[in-house]
Amino acid sequence: MLVAGIDIGAATAKAVVLKDSIISGYAIRPVGHDVKIAAHGVITEALKNTGLSITVDKLDYVLSTGYARNTIGFAHKSATEIICHAKGAHFLIPSTRFIIDMGGQDSKAIEVDSEGNCINFIMNDKCAAGTGRFLEVMANILEVESMSEMGPLALQSDEPCIISSTCTVFAETEIVVLRAQGKDRKDLIAGVHRASASRVHSMATGLRCVPDAVFTGGVAKNTGVKKYLEEEFGINFLVPPEPQIIGALGAALIAQTHTANISRD
Amino acid sequence: MDALLKLDTHLENRHAQLKALKDHGRKIIGFTAGGYFPEELALACDAEAICFIEAGNNTALMNAGGYTCRWFDPFWRSQIAYLTSGKDPYYNIADLIVVPVTDNHVRNFSNVLGYFTPEKESFVFGVPHVKDKIALDYYLKGITRLRNRLEEFTGKEITDARLKQSIDLCNRERELFRQISLLRKSGEYFIQGRDFIKLNHGSYLADKEFMIDILEMYLREIKETACHPKGGPSLLLTGSTLAHGDSKVMDIIEECGGNTVVEEFAECIRPYHETVDTEGNLMKNLAESYFMKRVCPGWFRPGTERLNLLIKLAKEYNVDGLIWYQLMFRESYKVESFFFPQMLKKEAGIPMFVVESEYDAMEAGPMRTRIETFIETIKR
Repeated sequence: MLVAGIDIGAATAKAVVLKDSIISGYAIRPVGHDVKIAAHGVITEALKNTGLSITVDKLDYVLSTGYARNTIGFAHKSATEIICHAKGAHFLIPSTRFIIDMGGQDSKAIEVDSEGNCINFIMNDKCAAGTGRFLEVMANILEVESMSEMGPLALQSDEPCIISSTCTVFAETEIVVLRAQGKDRKDLIAGVHRASASRVHSMATGLRCVPDAVFTGGVAKNTGVKKYLEEEFGINFLVPPEPQIIGALGAALIAQTHTANISRD
Repeated sequence: MDALLKLDTHLENRHAQLKALKDHGRKIIGFTAGGYFPEELALACDAEAICFIEAGNNTALMNAGGYTCRWFDPFWRSQIAYLTSGKDPYYNIADLIVVPVTDNHVRNFSNVLGYFTPEKESFVFGVPHVKDKIALDYYLKGITRLRNRLEEFTGKEITDARLKQSIDLCNRERELFRQISLLRKSGEYFIQGRDFIKLNHGSYLADKEFMIDILEMYLREIKETACHPKGGPSLLLTGSTLAHGDSKVMDIIEECGGNTVVEEFAECIRPYHETVDTEGNLMKNLAESYFMKRVCPGWFRPGTERLNLLIKLAKEYNVDGLIWYQLMFRESYKVESFFFPQMLKKEAGIPMFVVESEYDAMEAGPMRTRIETFIETIKR
């Protein structure tokens, strides 16, 4: 059985193709201005990466997730990204009991049971702090050319600056002030990472954060955020090999559980 | 449901009807939401009573910016916007605006009413935040002053006979709401959450006797229609305010397969659990019912009475989960939302989920994700 999960997030579209419970191919690409074009593009690319000569209409089942989950015409069904992240993380790391997912626009903390079901969760509310967007804004002002440089630069600091504002706009102002005071760039970058992790930790207060904890989403590729999350939560976070596709993977796993005899929209 | 269609038609024509009544000398008494204005007093002096319950439009909120700060409850900012716009048909038609001041958000509204629209006749009185003898006396004095003002304003004396007649009418309305609500408890009838809210909202603007007919008709229709209870999870919806025009949370719940079977709100949902005694001192009876018997909103001290009611409702209506609909900057509710989930889990064994709103269109996506996940979680 060949199924796919597609996750259309705020910044990137992700697709995973599963063949008999094994990841056969996946793809990640920017969403751009049109979610439908992004969805078609990413699923086509993921199918191409499987090495199989197959088109989307030949898939047995497609399940969509992410903000645009209800606009994907070729998907049979949709599920929320929270449910999908729980399934995806549990599939790769069956001992997963707690997840931090940090994406382009939001962050989530999810409690997971032994079956990979979400049992409790919390999402950031109307605030970019603690998301990929926060780090992007800060990278821009600190003139870090690539987001992949941010984490390693943060890890070089011995004395991270204190960024007290939880608002992205005010934090940007704070950075301007600290920069004018002559603070070292790497300390500023580390401060930004710590502030981001602190915001997520504060959001997750009230949830049971127990091992094994897994860090997913695009921001999970950032080693600096991982370090400060571990400091804030006081536990280690496991990062799957490609943390950005966990939502799409979960969607594909749920797709597998559905029967294929349902007509497409 | 024919009753709901009939109500829609009545409400479409209600403003014109009020205008005609006003042209013939009838006074229109507008009052702010919160449940502390005894409508009986307005009805007893042959006036029409209408409540300002419209909100949910983010554009309107922006218009309040010249009169109040950004960090205020969006419902009350909406009221400020509608009041000061000079374009709201119901604020415009009201001859007198009654404001029972329940918290700082309402006080802010009353200040704007006084400072920026002095041409509007108004009557403001305070509602205490504790339930004791002194507080009851204070509230009784407030509504007694209101009674005097209404008599003076309308030129009609509120006799005991007229007041009793009005209390009977309002008791009948409350009793019908209670009966309809209790049908949801049995699980044998399916009453869509949004229909119950529609009736509630309608009752704040409709002619009282007409509304009673509608409620009786609705009750008959529900009992006669072979309804099958919906299969989705049953939910208790609570919060400070559920305004007319703010249907986002209800819509999402129903689209995600949830079913609101009981709700508890301080503003824009009528308290219907208690009736007013019609024997003895009627003013004291009104104070007793509207202030002491009525389960208090979240800003009372202590707040345990309301929280205990939520636990009781959760058990009695056999709900699967509770959705706490939080308006931003309504801090008295916000603080309770942090500790109540543990209390609810312990006492009723059900989960609670908080969704927050500032009447912003961009909220819909994340709100849907949250509610859909919550409903999926409790389905298992």
